[in-house]
Amino acid sequence: MAGISRRSLLKGMGTGLGALAAAGPLFNSNKAFAAREKELNILCWEGYNSAQVLDPFRSKTGATVKAESLTNDPTMINRLRAGEINTWDLINVNNPWARKVMLPEKLIKPLPKAEFEPFFDKMLPEFKAPYKWAMSDDGKDLIGMAQRFGPYSFVVNTDKVSRKTAEEVGWDLFNDPKLSGKYGILESDDWNVFNIFIVAGIDPFKVHTPEELAKFEETAKRVFKGAKLIGDIASMNQALISGEIDLHLTGGTYSVSPARADGHPELRAITPLKGPLAGGKGGISWIEITSTVNNPNLSPLALEFLKYVQAPDVAHTVAFAEGTFNPVAQMGNKACFDLFTKEELDAIQWDSLEEEMARSVEYDIVPNYDKALDIMNAAKRLRG
Amino acid sequence: MADIALTHAPETAAELRHARMLSAGARCALPVAILLGIGFAAPLVAILGYAFATPRSFDVFRSFTLENFATLFNPSNTVWLSFLWSCGFALSTVAILAVVAYPIAYGLNVVFGRAAPLISVLFVFPLFVSENVRLYGWVLFYIKNGVLDGTLKWLGLAGGPEVLFTPGITLFGMVYTYLPFMLFPMTLGLALVPRDLVDAARDLGAGRLLIWREIELPLAMPGILIGMLLTFVLAIGATAEAKILGGQSIIVISHDIEIAFTYSQNWPLGSALAVVVTAFIGGLTLFALSKLDLDRMLGRR
Repeated sequence: MAGISRRSLLKGMGTGLGALAAAGPLFNSNKAFAAREKELNILCWEGYNSAQVLDPFRSKTGATVKAESLTNDPTMINRLRAGEINTWDLINVNNPWARKVMLPEKLIKPLPKAEFEPFFDKMLPEFKAPYKWAMSDDGKDLIGMAQRFGPYSFVVNTDKVSRKTAEEVGWDLFNDPKLSGKYGILESDDWNVFNIFIVAGIDPFKVHTPEELAKFEETAKRVFKGAKLIGDIASMNQALISGEIDLHLTGGTYSVSPARADGHPELRAITPLKGPLAGGKGGISWIEITSTVNNPNLSPLALEFLKYVQAPDVAHTVAFAEGTFNPVAQMGNKACFDLFTKEELDAIQWDSLEEEMARSVEYDIVPNYDKALDIMNAAKRLRG
Repeated sequence: MADIALTHAPETAAELRHARMLSAGARCALPVAILLGIGFAAPLVAILGYAFATPRSFDVFRSFTLENFATLFNPSNTVWLSFLWSCGFALSTVAILAVVAYPIAYGLNVVFGRAAPLISVLFVFPLFVSENVRLYGWVLFYIKNGVLDGTLKWLGLAGGPEVLFTPGITLFGMVYTYLPFMLFPMTLGLALVPRDLVDAARDLGAGRLLIWREIELPLAMPGILIGMLLTFVLAIGATAEAKILGGQSIIVISHDIEIAFTYSQNWPLGSALAVVVTAFIGGLTLFALSKLDLDRMLGRR
């Protein structure tokens, strides 16, 4: 001991730390690999993280299932990019991200096609295999499963603005000076970028010219200035019910269904009859795609879970999980559809769902989103 | 000096080892130091690293650029509006709370007597409930056809004022939320005023105003200033009030940081903004504390 000098001690500590650092990942991965049999981590939109959906799976498998819900796609995808690819097993985002971004960036991996493609045959007709958003660009690989979907444009209180007027006037309602101060804006900024473009009469899903961006900026300033409030889904529904606002930009079945289920059928998601979108369509719809993360130690339960949520009763639970209520692709299966009560079908506006989906283009990526978002954020600051 | 130093130089191996070991105090402080290093310093270092990373990337510690700061200080960037609003809200909150909390603090020390502890608990009690829940409660109170408006209409009156979703209600929310943080340091400050001194001044013929100005206020000043500083620092970083009560009628600076980290996914820009705001608040706090000689104020010197 007497021979130990400060230098040798430090050297020894350095070697020890180095060895620990080198062995660390090995140790962790071994431990992780062993534990992954009974562990599943899901990154998702709200609903899949609810106890109603997860608890039966937990008791069935005895696994530790963790689900984190976020409310925008870019954040979830950047979590994988920032290194959490080793953490998550499933990622649930809107339709274009799997095919256009996550697969090319190797953030997700394909599903066993033979095992999962048959599920699409039991879905609603528009989801029949090969379903575009569930397939890789070359059409060879199945990269995710579809479940929740819905139209998402704006919401009105039909006691104040009739459904007919809202559908016919469409996005120009937000250009009407008479409605200034009578509408809210849902705090969902990626969708707000789409919708400000549409209110400006521009298709959001294309590369924009400087003139179009100038029009976008003018519209963003005016529309945000005229908004009575910006807030979350609960704030929007509360403001509609109390009469603080008559309508709100950005919203649909996903946002208004809890209020409708709560006894407010006068509140209604609207898809305009026409608009500046491709083919003259009036609205935008979303379809969630759940994919397996390209995790080197993917939990075997990831595939189990994807199968589990296809079962009619679980699909119905997913549709009516806490927070928001939505149609699911599995409603194409009679066994699943029959589980929905009349009230539930009314909450998700089943009566007009098909026509509203037909009037909508599917969610896509805005090529110059970053630039448009910066313009919109600056416009928001001028509200005060 | 050299001789003295030599006499204390360790000679045996045991002495040498002993000299190289950490002192007992340092060893006891080690767990806290490690905890602070991981929990407090590491995130700050990460934020600092991100502030100099390429915009909209995750190249932390692998890239170095001042671009994020250039973006923030670009005259065409309107982020200064958010910063000014936050400063304005924080200063107004401090000013209003100083006026509102003083009489309560005085009451707790001098007037309320045996009821004072109970009244203190009543002021602390709201802190047990989440801030968001309390703010949503105020929304229900002020919203159209809500508690206030509905009750007034039920009584046959015209209804409540339309105050929700305005900058004014945001300020109200901040005053409400940060009241305890001003009240308790102030109460403590007023408790430091010796009653004998006040009695002596009165016996010598000083009026109420003179006693307040010459005795109470200067002696209670440490508590008042600590309350002001605490409230200012908390209020400048407040977001929930502007979002929930204010309906985002104003975008405050902390909300701008949040947007950069979420929808914009521009962590480097958000970090640069966080660094600028932290440096501003830190600089201001250090400046205030340098002007404030607490030891002298507390009469320890």
